Amino acid sequence: MARALPTRSVLTRCAIAAGLIAVALSLPGCVQQAPPELLQAVENLDRHLLSVQGAEFAPEEYARFIERWVAVKARLQSEDDVIRWPWEANGLVADLLKVEEEGRQAALVAAERREAERLQTLAWLTAVERRLRTLGSRVEEMGSRLILGEKLIETELLVKQGRSFFEQGRFSRSGPVLDEAARLLDDQIALLNAELGRYADERMVDTWRRKVRRTVAWSKRHQAPAIVVSKADRSLTLYHNGGVVASYPVQLGYNGILEKRYQGDGATPEGQYRVLKKRDRRQTQFYRALLLDYPNAEDRQRFRLARNAGIIPVGATIGGQIEIHGLDHRAVSQTLGCIMLENRWIDVLFDSVDVGTPVTIVGAVKRSNSVALALAALDQPEEEEDVAFADSTSDEG
Amino acid sequence: MMRVLTLALAWALALTGCAQPPTDKLAASEKAVNEARSAGAPNYMAEDFAKLEGMLTNAKNEIAAQDSKFAPMRDYGKAEQLLTSAQADAGRVAAEANKKKEEAKAAALQAQQAAQEAVKTAQASVAKAPAGKERAALEAIKADTQTLANSLNDVQGAIDAGDYLAAQAKAKAIQEKGHAIASEVQRALAKVGTAKKGKVAKK
Repeated sequence: MARALPTRSVLTRCAIAAGLIAVALSLPGCVQQAPPELLQAVENLDRHLLSVQGAEFAPEEYARFIERWVAVKARLQSEDDVIRWPWEANGLVADLLKVEEEGRQAALVAAERREAERLQTLAWLTAVERRLRTLGSRVEEMGSRLILGEKLIETELLVKQGRSFFEQGRFSRSGPVLDEAARLLDDQIALLNAELGRYADERMVDTWRRKVRRTVAWSKRHQAPAIVVSKADRSLTLYHNGGVVASYPVQLGYNGILEKRYQGDGATPEGQYRVLKKRDRRQTQFYRALLLDYPNAEDRQRFRLARNAGIIPVGATIGGQIEIHGLDHRAVSQTLGCIMLENRWIDVLFDSVDVGTPVTIVGAVKRSNSVALALAALDQPEEEEDVAFADSTSDEG
Repeated sequence: MMRVLTLALAWALALTGCAQPPTDKLAASEKAVNEARSAGAPNYMAEDFAKLEGMLTNAKNEIAAQDSKFAPMRDYGKAEQLLTSAQADAGRVAAEANKKKEEAKAAALQAQQAAQEAVKTAQASVAKAPAGKERAALEAIKADTQTLANSLNDVQGAIDAGDYLAAQAKAKAIQEKGHAIASEVQRALAKVGTAKKGKVAKK
């Protein structure tokens, strides 16, 4: 028995149903939408590129990414409601993939260059901070803080600002501030060398050493006491018959390391003096004192030259009343250019010397004096400093 | 005759169909970017502002590239997209920069006040500094305190110039140093106090 063939109407219904199913299945593919996860990935990249400063650190790569990304975004907007057939190629996905690739590339380059910039700024910051620390400690050693005036603290403020900008990731602002700090450091080192360079000048040190030798020879020749003060060592040595009796630590004027130029500069004079007067208790406000014959003829001549050269303030006077004295707690702050000892040492000294005893005050008695070493250390990186110090300690002049 | 007319018509159509550079859009975008700059975007929205400038530069380069082409071949679509995007972003960047600038201003003023107080404290400490403190050290501390007080003018200068980040950084540095000076003097005062107690005990 032959099977009955389907009727024409059944065939038509089947065809319509199949068509409807096909249309229903193909509809989601007809709307040209970019995959949300891909879109999200590119948007994340865009944000990431901002955080790694893509525009600054990878300008070319970033420009390409932005150009494509803007174009794709415009297409997404303009073709939002466009419906295509499933068999039509979806160029948007391919374009988004390209944008993503370019974004990744730009992010990679920017991150690498930003890190390089960070490390470079950090190295510069560390170097400037180290130089500042070195300068601070050496200046303390030399007692030359006041020579620098405002510069040291200005530098410190700049370095702090540089670090602050660095920690905020603002490397481009950190750099110029640190450059300025480095320039100020150079200025200060130059100033210290100009003011204290004579301590590192071998001829000058030799001159001082000759003066000391003459003083010691005088002591020997006259079988009498003599005093030598070394400003760099902050020490006073008492000689008798040409031999060392004792050595005492001293404090100088508040700018004592400098060469005295005029009254009130806080510097301690250098030269060959004599005890002019012995001031015992109640004759001085500094416990006991030995008044020196400052200014002597040499000091006056130096003062005249300095005044004529205009290197001292107008109206400044040469000063006087330079003493070797003791201390009481109230008067310590009034040491303006004298040499100050503890009372127990001034007692010994006071009883050991007479009016007329020679007093030679020099900058230093050794070529490798503390000031010369500190100045040398300022011109060297920290790593080499300790070596320099170790090396130079054997250089007895 | 008909052929000549047809050619002329085609040429005229081609000419009228030539793309024109987006001059107005460029001007509007530049204006928007400049407004963002004035709002402080280079300081307070640096990355976003760099992106804006990048888009503007890209657009200009694209316009120049199209300008150099044979007229009927020019297409300023890409440049227009960039300019539209830049202009839209510029408004957002300017608004956010303004907001951040106000926040930075408030932070700078707060830091300035803290720095002023730290300097005052340091000055008061120096006035009480023990007479027994070494003259050189005392003179240095006085000079430092004076320098700090002078540096407060730099903070005000930066605030006046609208550079609140620099003002804040400097004010913080001054504050730190002011505290350090005050602490140094306090330590010296404490030492003197201890020494005096010791002297009394010896009596």
